Amino acid sequence: MEFFLESILNGICMGSIYGLTALGLTVIFGVLKVINFAHGSLIMVSMYVAYWAIIYTGVHPYVALIIVVPVMYFFGYYLQDIVIKPIFKAEKDVREPITVIIVTTGVWYILDNLTLLIFGPQYRGIQNNPLRGKMLDIGNMLISVPKLWGFVTAVITAAAVYWFLQKTRTGRAIRATSLDREAASLMGINQFKIYNIAFGIGTAIVGISAVTLVPFYNIFPSVGVLFDIKGFIIVVLGGLGSIGGAIIGGIIIGLIESIAPMFMTATWAEAIVYGLFLVVLFVKPSGLFGVKYDW
Amino acid sequence: MKIDIRIMGKLTVFFSIVALVAAFSVLPAPAVAENVVKVGNIIPLSGPSASVGQQGKQAREMAVEEINAAGGIKSLGGAKLKMIYADSESKPEKGVAEAERLINTDKVNVLTGCWNSAVTYPTTAVAERYGIPFIVPVSVADKITEQGFKNVFRIAAKDSWWTRDQFAFLKDMEKEFHTPVKTLAFVYENGDWGQGFASQWKILAKKGGYKVVLDEPYPSTATDLSPVVQKIRRARPDVLMLVSNAADAILLTNTLASYKVKLKAVIASGGGHADPSFLKATGKNARYLFDIVEWETDVNKPGAKEANAKFKAKYGYNLAGESVDAYLAMYVLKDALERAGSLDPAKIREALATTHLTSGPGMIVGYDSVEFDKTGQNKNASLIMVQINDIGNGLERITVWPKSARRAGYTPVFPMPH
Repeated sequence: MEFFLESILNGICMGSIYGLTALGLTVIFGVLKVINFAHGSLIMVSMYVAYWAIIYTGVHPYVALIIVVPVMYFFGYYLQDIVIKPIFKAEKDVREPITVIIVTTGVWYILDNLTLLIFGPQYRGIQNNPLRGKMLDIGNMLISVPKLWGFVTAVITAAAVYWFLQKTRTGRAIRATSLDREAASLMGINQFKIYNIAFGIGTAIVGISAVTLVPFYNIFPSVGVLFDIKGFIIVVLGGLGSIGGAIIGGIIIGLIESIAPMFMTATWAEAIVYGLFLVVLFVKPSGLFGVKYDW
Repeated sequence: MKIDIRIMGKLTVFFSIVALVAAFSVLPAPAVAENVVKVGNIIPLSGPSASVGQQGKQAREMAVEEINAAGGIKSLGGAKLKMIYADSESKPEKGVAEAERLINTDKVNVLTGCWNSAVTYPTTAVAERYGIPFIVPVSVADKITEQGFKNVFRIAAKDSWWTRDQFAFLKDMEKEFHTPVKTLAFVYENGDWGQGFASQWKILAKKGGYKVVLDEPYPSTATDLSPVVQKIRRARPDVLMLVSNAADAILLTNTLASYKVKLKAVIASGGGHADPSFLKATGKNARYLFDIVEWETDVNKPGAKEANAKFKAKYGYNLAGESVDAYLAMYVLKDALERAGSLDPAKIREALATTHLTSGPGMIVGYDSVEFDKTGQNKNASLIMVQINDIGNGLERITVWPKSARRAGYTPVFPMPH
């Protein structure tokens, strides 16, 4: 029973971190209507930024948010502005521009290989950080402290993003653009500026998720691939563009990964995750929390 | 005078011709007496395995330079070893074609190669057909020496011996430290490699009288291995045996440490655990871990340190399992040629088959002698076991098994202290 509870708690914590990594993807999709295939690479870049920020300043991993979030915001902002926008303009009459998807795939390859070239294939971990390997001992249950921090961060971030989109002027402009970009433009909203901001926010969220990962995870050039496949599954599961859906979707995946191995091998647990993904696609293509219309 | 001159002229022409003929007949003479043993080497010098191929070439070069500088093959009148290289590009068909060429055009006396098991397998068949002895330093696939060939001699331990040696090591540790081991847990990546090891482990565990309390394959791409670690914790095995790639090896080691899983020993299978960045990314969490490898720079064998220092000075990196076997292969060949005293392939083959090499510059491997069994497999070949520990120089890989190769003055830590 304790083991079961322990697995559930681990699943919720790890799952909410998965959800957080997928949140950026869902925000970018919600506005740009583009699947960002470079999402994993953005996680990887954020992890390297967080890694170096923590190594050089020696601060608590979460203090590095002060550096990582703005850096990643502008990274995303200008990635959209310089690389993706021109393609968008060329295809502005199409609702879901395919070429942009191809461009993001290009960005993925370039970023991953550039990192490999600059930093080498080594696996890095932050040895001296106050969260590393810390466990909370409740009765006979062990709960990973860095994952618990991740859970709290995920919930706060999701709530903050939701509040921002609902209550602020920029947030309303983002939602307006997401609903109907032509109408929004007619209302005086600069569509491409909003895209830049949305991409920046999405990437900044990716930065936050990277900070939750670095205290206990390895950093290496292809690390993003592991998380972006999961990210796509979560986003489809929770509903593309849904903020709560991303976190709940993440937690569902986390729970399956954590509880299923109690009854079968870890390999089968992974098969269940993919199986569920297919079932959702067949039965409810808009996802568990997806809506038929966008935001 | 006129006549004299004419005669003189004729004589000059005559002697010139004689001299020329003499010169021509003398010229080929050194070629006949040119005392070399032609060694054909088919290794991957370009393509995906180029870097290991290059290391194999360098190790061969170093051995051959030493052998030739020391006077070559004495029973063949100081014959020098002449190396001829052919690039396999890691392609089986290329290996076969190059073997034909080396045998028919270059008339090599002996062949070596090819690193990639997939290339070695068909290429040895060519050598067998022509009756040319073929020394295989490192291709590890079992089937290479299981073709019933008479001319194939493999130095390295075969694939299935990795698991054999892991269990032999475990038995030896139990005896040496009077700590019985009863239960085992197998945790491995769910690819070909991990599944292959695990199926061998199950047979060996049954034979050894161990109880397997956990048999858990996991995907190497897993982002969270704590569910697997919790299963290990619940199963309470004495010893945990692992097959992992790099990212998962690091994740498992760190997660095992944070969940404070109490084990008597962890035995890994190279791969991710031997990755150069493994120690950096796990730090003290990896302490006391045992890992099986082909060779380690600290093996306690005469000449090993010097050979490694020389190799490093020459080429800029340490010797490794592959290069050590290539280096040893040249000395096995030298030993056989000395005993054969002939360039007849059949004689060289006989000499190789009766090899019993126990000392000399090449014997820097973890085991004590090279002897080939009926199939041509070096029956004494074994792998070595290292333990990760910090004995004052930071964490390092210390050779502990076989006992004869153990680093001087080091006592393995078994069982793991808690």
